[in-house]
Amino acid sequence: MRRIALLGVALFTAPLVAATAQHRTAAPKPPPPPAPAPAVPHDSVRGAIRAIDVRARTVEVTAGVGYALRVVPLQVPAGVSITNREGSQPETIALGQLKLGDVVRVQFGGKAAPFLAYSIERLGRMTTGMDSTP
Amino acid sequence: MTRHTFIIALALAAAACKRPPQPGDPLPGLTAAQRAQFDSGRAVFDSTFTAPVGLGPLFNASGCGECHEDPVVGGVGDEIERHAALFHPERAGFVCDQLAAEGGPVFQDSVTAALHTALGIDREALPPGVTTVAARTTPDIFGFGLLDAVPDSTILSYADPDDKNGDGIMGRPNRFVDGRIGRFGRKAFVPTLREFNAGAFQVEVGITNPSVPEEGTVTGRPLPAGTDPAPDPELNAHSLELADAFVRFLAPPTPLKQSREARHGRDVFTQVGCAGCHVPALRTGDNPVAALSHKEVAAYTDLLLHDMGEGLADICFGLATPTEFRTEPLMGLRLSTHFLHDGRAATPEQAIDFHGGEATRSRDLFRTLPAADRAALLLFLKTL
Repeated sequence: MRRIALLGVALFTAPLVAATAQHRTAAPKPPPPPAPAPAVPHDSVRGAIRAIDVRARTVEVTAGVGYALRVVPLQVPAGVSITNREGSQPETIALGQLKLGDVVRVQFGGKAAPFLAYSIERLGRMTTGMDSTP
Repeated sequence: MTRHTFIIALALAAAACKRPPQPGDPLPGLTAAQRAQFDSGRAVFDSTFTAPVGLGPLFNASGCGECHEDPVVGGVGDEIERHAALFHPERAGFVCDQLAAEGGPVFQDSVTAALHTALGIDREALPPGVTTVAARTTPDIFGFGLLDAVPDSTILSYADPDDKNGDGIMGRPNRFVDGRIGRFGRKAFVPTLREFNAGAFQVEVGITNPSVPEEGTVTGRPLPAGTDPAPDPELNAHSLELADAFVRFLAPPTPLKQSREARHGRDVFTQVGCAGCHVPALRTGDNPVAALSHKEVAAYTDLLLHDMGEGLADICFGLATPTEFRTEPLMGLRLSTHFLHDGRAATPEQAIDFHGGEATRSRDLFRTLPAADRAALLLFLKTL
């Protein structure tokens, strides 16, 4: 009976000991690079870039349904993922490589304009078209 | 009932069954469930909204049926509304600012009492700097479900932006802001009927819905507190679905039986080049609704943009420059009382006379036709 009790204590404490050891070994690692903290509400938009200011890191996207159009003003912090998906392989691009009329999909958050961009995907150009549905 | 009466009654019943669709009728071949959606959808479409249930605060009409009314629900209307946009040809890639951040592109002509009290306005003001305002009439929407079911590939097959065949007629598709091919609206900006309908509820009636859950602004400014008491969305998904079904399932007006002269006019229509843009028939593709699947529709449009000349120019829209317009479908033309996008023409003949740009050659040929041929062509148009 006493052996069983000791075994139970060992089984109970083993994960805690292991977790403590893991925490000790993980501690010296450098912290991950800062990423924009997702704010609520989280949303996404697909539309055309109507304005871009690389220095101020702002982008405005026109989107909407039918004639009910809206403009989504976005702040794009450094480090936000900007991807070109027009080719066969997605590639990372700089904010300055986006152009007026680019069709983009943006994940963003925040409660008031300008909203905070979490990621931007360049899908194509409005002038040449995108045949897939959003 | 005598045998004779019975036969007459049977013949009348058979004739009624085979009666071609009249304006406002549903497409032939709908299932019972689709027909029920059509009937219920007509009630939503023809509803009159009031401020307590969501009308406005900015609006052009208190319901779809207020404008689309003549000769029946879904038909033409005599209202003319204001659209505005700023054309920036120097901004390569995004040449048209549809003033979405300033309340555009549609600027409403009516406000609710609450908004009038709050802001002292009777309609939405245009943003500063707007110099061109486009007037837009209310078209009929008969047969629009069939236009919606035409594959993009068919539209693209008529495009000839570089005029490779040398006929002077180009044609290119417009694109929505997400890059899809547009087809609805006078500038062919909106890709699908569903989106056009959902957007129109908000833009024209001020009724938010699951697809457009937020009200617009007042020339870019948020609505004053307390002016929009109805909770959003003001139209639920089911009602939106029904209204969409009604529009989608409206049959195109059946062309009238053509006399010999009208048939001659149809030939002249082709000979002078009208059919280069007003393509007589389009064919729908695969569609989950059998009544819309692989059907021919006498639309008399290619759904493409064409340069119509400076005389008709007004605003840009998407990729469309001020001089470019979508080829107006001529189906149901006989139901119209005024013609062209802004209603400036009182007759089809005047409308032809206003054509310019890519249509100049056809217009000039029409003008030089013998009187009998001109009359025949106009007679043909009255059968559509």
